[in-house]
Amino acid sequence: MTLFQEFLVLAAIICSFSGCTSTSIESAGDATVISADAASSYSEVGMASATTVSFSYDNYNIDAMGSKKIRELANIIKSNDLSVRVEGHCDERGTREYNLALGEKRANAVAELLIINGVSRAQINTVSYGEEKPTSQGSNESSWSENRRAVIKTF
Amino acid sequence: MIFIRTFLLFLIFFSSNSLLSQLRIEIRSGLEEPLRIAVVPIEWSIESPPNHYVHEVIKKDLELFGEFKVIDPEVMLSLPVNLEEVFYRDWRLLDIDYLVIGSAKALGDLEVSLDYFIIDIAREKIIHKAIISGSLISIKRIAHNISDKIYEKISGLSGIFSTRIAYVDKPYKSLDRYDLRITDIDGDNDLSLFSSEQPILSPAWSPSGQELAYVSFEEGTSRIYIQELATGTRRPLKREEGINSSPSWSPDGRYIAAVLSKGDNPDIYIYDLRQNSWKQLTSHYGIDTEPDWSESGNSLIFTSNRSGSPQIYEINIKSKRIKRKTFEGTYNARARYLSNGKKIIYIHRKKGVFHVALQDLRSGKLRILTDTLLDESPSVSPNGNVIIYATKDGDRDVLAGVTLNSQTKFTLPSASGGAREPSWSPKID
Repeated sequence: MTLFQEFLVLAAIICSFSGCTSTSIESAGDATVISADAASSYSEVGMASATTVSFSYDNYNIDAMGSKKIRELANIIKSNDLSVRVEGHCDERGTREYNLALGEKRANAVAELLIINGVSRAQINTVSYGEEKPTSQGSNESSWSENRRAVIKTF
Repeated sequence: MIFIRTFLLFLIFFSSNSLLSQLRIEIRSGLEEPLRIAVVPIEWSIESPPNHYVHEVIKKDLELFGEFKVIDPEVMLSLPVNLEEVFYRDWRLLDIDYLVIGSAKALGDLEVSLDYFIIDIAREKIIHKAIISGSLISIKRIAHNISDKIYEKISGLSGIFSTRIAYVDKPYKSLDRYDLRITDIDGDNDLSLFSSEQPILSPAWSPSGQELAYVSFEEGTSRIYIQELATGTRRPLKREEGINSSPSWSPDGRYIAAVLSKGDNPDIYIYDLRQNSWKQLTSHYGIDTEPDWSESGNSLIFTSNRSGSPQIYEINIKSKRIKRKTFEGTYNARARYLSNGKKIIYIHRKKGVFHVALQDLRSGKLRILTDTLLDESPSVSPNGNVIIYATKDGDRDVLAGVTLNSQTKFTLPSASGGAREPSWSPKID
């Protein structure tokens, strides 16, 4: 055991008493691994509304119902000068990284439609979560169709 | 310092007890007639032998993928320690193909030296003899090392019993707990590297096995990080707008291929780890993603929907010449090279079901390896012989595996019901 490792352990012990962001050392056999926690997690404080638009499988076209929702929301955004975060999501089928790309296509399609309806590009942020944040956990058609979505959050 | 040392021992004691291993390989189907091996318990000329029995570790290792049957000492007719004590008839009666014998002695206070022989019973020949030494605390590592040698001498492939799997754990039905973990291949030492309330994706080992690159959404958007295993130090790569995903290391460890969308559409970029800068490699209005670097370092394979559906393409890094590699079906994605770039595995959709498929690049011939549904994230063992991938068991995420010849199929049930994205480490010596 090196002095450095002893120091780390001491630091971990102090942390566990004082409740600071944890750095813990787990030692098992001869495998020494130090784990970390996310320092700053993204938060949704101040969110005014969340509107969901659905998509069909492997597709990022917005249907008539989605277009109507986005048009109405665009007016609210403009009149209240809100900022917008558009999140694109996919169902679990297919590979994770490819779904990340597909989710971004969905978020971008929504952002484009907001812009066409007069929202300024500078007010819009987009992010794709791919298949990482399903709202429904099942592996069936009803869960999948719920999970294929873009969520427009206003702040 | 004595206090700290005592506390540390206390900590190790407790952590090793609470380290309920998360993943254990369970064979679903194996070889009908696996090779039979006898590993005689090692004789220790040492006061207090270690509590890990070397022969038991070796038995567990060699039986891990269902390729061998290791017989128990209770049924052995003799327990030879040296060559003079080996009577071939004793082993032929038990249908033994290979015999391993050995003895260990102390080298100073904490070091041991272990002599062992691997013997081919049919040919009555020693096929390997070696002396291996190391610290008594790392006796399991010594045992894994012997397992690796036995595997290598019998199969001709290098052993993978000293390797690890990185994976992402999201406990069943939890909404905001993501845990990047690593485990020894036998399920021991399952440890958390990084935890977050936001998604973690795409763990990728550095060629040295000392660092992992991965994607974290902790800032509310995707970003690639590199974490050093021994120190826990994390450093982010330079973030660009939009998607930052799918890291894959160059074989020399100097570059990372990854995907950036720059708010528009995803292309493959290469990150220079010394210069901390991105350089664009592919440029197409379709989706380009999921790069994997070839062992030679000259080319990458990636997924692109440039032809209308996701297919696998290969790009020569120097000439930037791109060649389509898959033509069967309308969904082929997330390929990984194996066998020195002669073959690839990837996710292939057939009749709406996602399987792991193997393709010979020269002949183009494709073979589906798995019978599970919704397969994802295949990762190849360093010896190219075993594939671990993520799939579903009902609505739970599980890891599963298959040998390249499809003869052994196994699952790695996890206690949390949420293991995904396995990534096999390089061979760590």
